[in-house]
Amino acid sequence: MTERLVTDIGGFEAGEVPREERPPLFWQRQLMAVFNLLWREKHILNLDEFRRKMEEFTPENYAKWGFYTRRLEGVIGLLEEKGVLRAEDVEARTQQVLREGRDGHTA
Amino acid sequence: MVTPLEPRFAAGDRVRILDLGKPGHVRTPAYVRGRTGTIERFCGLFENPEERGYGREGRDRIPLYRVHLQQRDLWSGYSGRADDTLEIEIYEHWLAPEETA
Amino acid sequence: MNEAHDHSHAHDHAPSDEDLALTYEEAKFIALKRLLIEKGLITADAIRARMEIDARGTPHQGARMVAKAWSDPNYKARMLGDAKAAAVELGIPVTEAALVALENTPRLHNMIVCTLCSCYPRSLLGEPPAWYVSKAYRSRAVREPRKVLEEFGLDVPDATEVRVHDSNADLRYIVLPMRPEGSGGLSEQQLADLVTRDCLVGVALPRPPAA
Repeated sequence: MTERLVTDIGGFEAGEVPREERPPLFWQRQLMAVFNLLWREKHILNLDEFRRKMEEFTPENYAKWGFYTRRLEGVIGLLEEKGVLRAEDVEARTQQVLREGRDGHTA
Repeated sequence: MVTPLEPRFAAGDRVRILDLGKPGHVRTPAYVRGRTGTIERFCGLFENPEERGYGREGRDRIPLYRVHLQQRDLWSGYSGRADDTLEIEIYEHWLAPEETA
Repeated sequence: MNEAHDHSHAHDHAPSDEDLALTYEEAKFIALKRLLIEKGLITADAIRARMEIDARGTPHQGARMVAKAWSDPNYKARMLGDAKAAAVELGIPVTEAALVALENTPRLHNMIVCTLCSCYPRSLLGEPPAWYVSKAYRSRAVREPRKVLEEFGLDVPDATEVRVHDSNADLRYIVLPMRPEGSGGLSEQQLADLVTRDCLVGVALPRPPAA
C-alpha cells in the first residue's frame, strides 16, 4: 500500500476522545474569517490547496500542532507558496507583536 | 481525460476501492483501499480535489459515489455488531467493478 | 480593541481573550493579519463582516429542521430527499455543495466523522466541537464506533446497526434522530429544544421531554 498522508489517521489507535468544550478564541475565529475571505471572496487560495498544505506537514509538526495552529501554519505556508508573502516576514512581525503586545495593533 | 457523459456505476453495484498508489492530495483514506462494497448512490459530478489541491481549478467534473461497506470487512477483529456498516464518498477513478461472489 | 457589534441573533461569542497572555500562535496570527492588510489583500472591516457571516451557523438551525421533520411528514420526506433544499426552505442559507440527512430508526443509528480533516456542515451548524476534530475521534469513530459512543454515554443496543459516515469529500451530513417518547404534545419550538448539536452528529440522543 502507498504511504499514507499524515492526515490519514482513520483506524489508528488512540486514547479517549477529549470531551471538554473549547469554543474558539477570538483570534481563532478571526483566523477562520481571514481564511474564508482569502478563499471565498478573494479566490487567492482554495479549500483543497489548504488541506493539501496541511498534508505536507512533517509528522512531528502534525503531531504537536493543535487544530488552529495547523490552520495558521497551513495558511502561511500556502500564501508563501503562492508568493503572497514570506514566512520569514511573518516570523519577524510575530516577534514584533510579542514585544509590543496585543494592544499595539489597531485591526 | 474526457468527462464521461454518464456515471459508470449505479446504486447496488458491487465495487472494489482501488489503491492507485497516487502520491499527494487524495481523499481516499488508506483504511478503505482494496475493500469491496456496494454503491449506495451516485452523488453527482464534482471537481477533482486531486486537481484543485494544486490550484488547477475549473477542470472537468468527475463522478462521485457513496460506497457502503461492512465493518467486518474493514477491520480484523471488529468489535461491534456483525452487520455494522460504514459509508464513504469515493471518486469514480478509485473504483472498479467487482463481480458478486 | 473591543468591537461593538450587534448581538441580536442568538449565538455564543467566545469569551474575550484580552485577559489571556499573548501566545506565540496568536501573535503569529496578528502578524499575518497585519501583513495581509498592509498588502491591501483584506481589510479590517471585511474581517468583521466575514466573522458575522461565519457566526450565523448554530446547532439550533439543525434542531429547527429536525423539529419540523418530526411535526410534518412531508417536510421530513423533503429533508431526507435533499436536506440542503429543506434548510433553504426554512431560511437557512446552507452553502455546502450538498447536505444529506441520515434518518435514525430503531434498527439503525447513524454517526458522522471526518477522518481526514474536519469536514462538517458549518454553514448550518457553525464550528464543530473540539472532540469532533480531535485525533482520537477521527481515528476511532470508524474503527470502534460503539466504544466511542459508550464514552459519550450512548449505548446502542445489539438490535440496532451502527452506521458510520466518513464525510471525506463533497457531501455534508446531519443525523435526523428519532423523536423521543412522550413528545407528542410539544410545539416545534419545544421539540427543537430537545435536539442538541451532539444529536445531529450522532453521539447523543434527544432528551425526552421533562415529565
